[in-house]
Amino acid sequence: MHKDEFVNLCQNYSKQDKGNQNHSLSKKILAAVNNYQHHQAKKLPVIWLETNDSGDNNISVMNTTYPYLDRVFKNLIDLLYSNTFMAAQGQDAVKVLKAAANRKKGQFTLVVEGAIPLKEKYSVVFTTEKRAVSALEAVKWLGSLAKDVVAIGTCASFGGPTAANPNVSQSVGVSEVLDREVINVSGCPVNPDWFVGTLAHLLMYGRPELDDHNRPTLFYGDTIHRHCQRRSYFDKGDFAESLGEGECMFSQGCSGPKTRADCPYRQWINVNWPVEANTPCIGCTNPDFPDGSTPFFTPLPDKNNNQDKRERGREDE
Amino acid sequence: MSKTINFSPVTRLSGLLSVEVVVDQGCIIEANAKSTMFRGYEEIMQGRKVTDAVYMTQRVCGICSLAHGAVGSYLLDELYGNNLSKQAQYLRNIMYIADFLQNHIRHFYFFSLPDFVQMPDQPPWQGQNLTDARLKPEDNQRFVDNYFAAVKAAQEAHEILALFGGKAPHQHSFVQGGVAVAPSVDKITRAQALLSNIREFIKEKMIPDTKLLAKVYQDYYEIGVTPKRLISFGLFKFGEQNQNNYWPSGVIKGQQFSKPDFSKIEETAANSWFEEESGELKPDPDKANAYSWTKTVQYGGEFFETGPLSRLIIRKDYPLQTSTMDRIVARSLEALQISELMEEWLTKLKPGSAPIAQQQETVKNEVIAATDAMRGALLHSTKIEKEKVLNYQIITPTVWNFAPKDKLGNRGPVENALVGTKIPRANLLETILGRIIRSFDPCISCATHVLNLDGKLQEKIVF
Repeated sequence: MHKDEFVNLCQNYSKQDKGNQNHSLSKKILAAVNNYQHHQAKKLPVIWLETNDSGDNNISVMNTTYPYLDRVFKNLIDLLYSNTFMAAQGQDAVKVLKAAANRKKGQFTLVVEGAIPLKEKYSVVFTTEKRAVSALEAVKWLGSLAKDVVAIGTCASFGGPTAANPNVSQSVGVSEVLDREVINVSGCPVNPDWFVGTLAHLLMYGRPELDDHNRPTLFYGDTIHRHCQRRSYFDKGDFAESLGEGECMFSQGCSGPKTRADCPYRQWINVNWPVEANTPCIGCTNPDFPDGSTPFFTPLPDKNNNQDKRERGREDE
Repeated sequence: MSKTINFSPVTRLSGLLSVEVVVDQGCIIEANAKSTMFRGYEEIMQGRKVTDAVYMTQRVCGICSLAHGAVGSYLLDELYGNNLSKQAQYLRNIMYIADFLQNHIRHFYFFSLPDFVQMPDQPPWQGQNLTDARLKPEDNQRFVDNYFAAVKAAQEAHEILALFGGKAPHQHSFVQGGVAVAPSVDKITRAQALLSNIREFIKEKMIPDTKLLAKVYQDYYEIGVTPKRLISFGLFKFGEQNQNNYWPSGVIKGQQFSKPDFSKIEETAANSWFEEESGELKPDPDKANAYSWTKTVQYGGEFFETGPLSRLIIRKDYPLQTSTMDRIVARSLEALQISELMEEWLTKLKPGSAPIAQQQETVKNEVIAATDAMRGALLHSTKIEKEKVLNYQIITPTVWNFAPKDKLGNRGPVENALVGTKIPRANLLETILGRIIRSFDPCISCATHVLNLDGKLQEKIVF
């Protein structure tokens, strides 16, 4: 089944099958999926490079449900190199990496987790018998061989907390050091659905539609604010007076109005998300995270970046 | 003739680590643990509003994020003079245990197990080269099956954390003044149901697996032994001012026991890529002879090991033994014990509003907050002026365990554990190294902090 056909089927289902109570959509989709799996046993070859970050994204991906991580390994991807999961270690791991990069040249998806320090000595991914290999060198090398490049998390996408002021290692997002398209799956950490969904799209339908910041519109299409369960409180001007209350969190520093992500209905591990937990969204998918979100508990118009802008504005006057 | 081997990269951990060893006549005679990534969160915190600490410092670490948020919260509780309710403390500690459980389960099955178990020859386990596989085929298969069962058990632990914390990792609700989430009856029962699955996994799989591993690889009770110097800052705070530790803090040196005295803690950088400049440590990746981004931390001028084993021994729940297998066994035993505590504490929660009350004015300008994270002793300290951070310091467990040598050449716990180890055959070297190093549950993302200077790699050669 082609993508258009699939989308068409989903969108027009209610029109075509009005009054049909026998779940015929599920039947059609299941048949298509079975057909796909039968004819296409292929999995997405993935090389996962960890650079400078907290490792929160790989932990978050371990939290994936439906499919669980073992299913992801079994049915969706061939994880050829991963500092986190691989059994090989030391120079055996380097051999595995080189062999995978050469064997799957032009076919593999490069996943980068972490920002890239332009000061190369601030991140050495491994040392061979000859010398140290920096994150910058490794990402350039693998980036030139990959079919697609996916930046997982806000550090790899835009620099993120690793590049937070004063950014002494001069860390940047992956797209700044590669002369090619990078699909940014931002978030601090990434929501496992965003990442697994992006890989599934790459495998089944190729490159997903991307927004201005090269993020899949599937997940980053609308603002948090647009779908927030507390939107009616905002519209009425009913703001929480402190954390822990059930009203709008704008007063408590919520970055929802400037943040694109689907947390209000996607949720985290299917059970909760920050505003539902009576705390502000801190805008962790944004290109200016974290500096554009701090002080975290200060209302949006008074945050650091906006202050800077205002001061600059005054200078301009 | 001695031979220098660089074990790089050490995979299956958080962050980037290499370990260089010198082997002479089948014995490791020197070891340098090299953390090869720079993080710099202490610099990042400077000049920010101090209440940012809870969310910002969680970004230090992905696998132990809650611990940083917790210590950040304790620090702010004292700065602002918050009074914590009993409900807040129960809820905080329940969340703390949820993150501990995911860590211990994931460390044992995903990170440590492939050191002992023959994994399937498919991605991501290809090229394993396990040169000392001893398990019977049926036992090996049981471990592999339980690896996959651990996927769900660890996920469920983080589901409990997200249920109360809003998300995981980097939870949102455990903040200064208490917890922002209301412990409603649906959340409590859901957490109980998830916990009973996890408990079943720990009792029926993780503990028997640990016992079998310890039996088959018994010689690891003699390998990777450290001097008997152990430290813990205690765990699970209770009381209105976080003044009581449910599990005690302590310092053990041989047979002597004492309580930690923060004034005896000293951070230095003799072999780290830092230079002292007007009283501050500034990064210098070109510093001669330095080999790590981790600094050296000592207590009373000596190195101390920290982690689940230290906690168990300090609680007198485990004999005074400090080998590779003791560290592995202690982590699993602790998982069982804390799952019992969570079961009990969930029954203490009363459905009601969010147990939180934040004071708005600071009552102090300088605070040290310390507790244990999954891997051991964790300390945050800060100096502020009008809520603005003048200085923020973080000493993580991995700094204690993976410290490079001090100025006299004394070795830290990991290097000490490695030196003296016999390598009966050359092809066993990396297998043995991996087992010893991972028993400390390294987290390099956590361990590498502080400042700036220029650095470019030497001329490019094809590697």
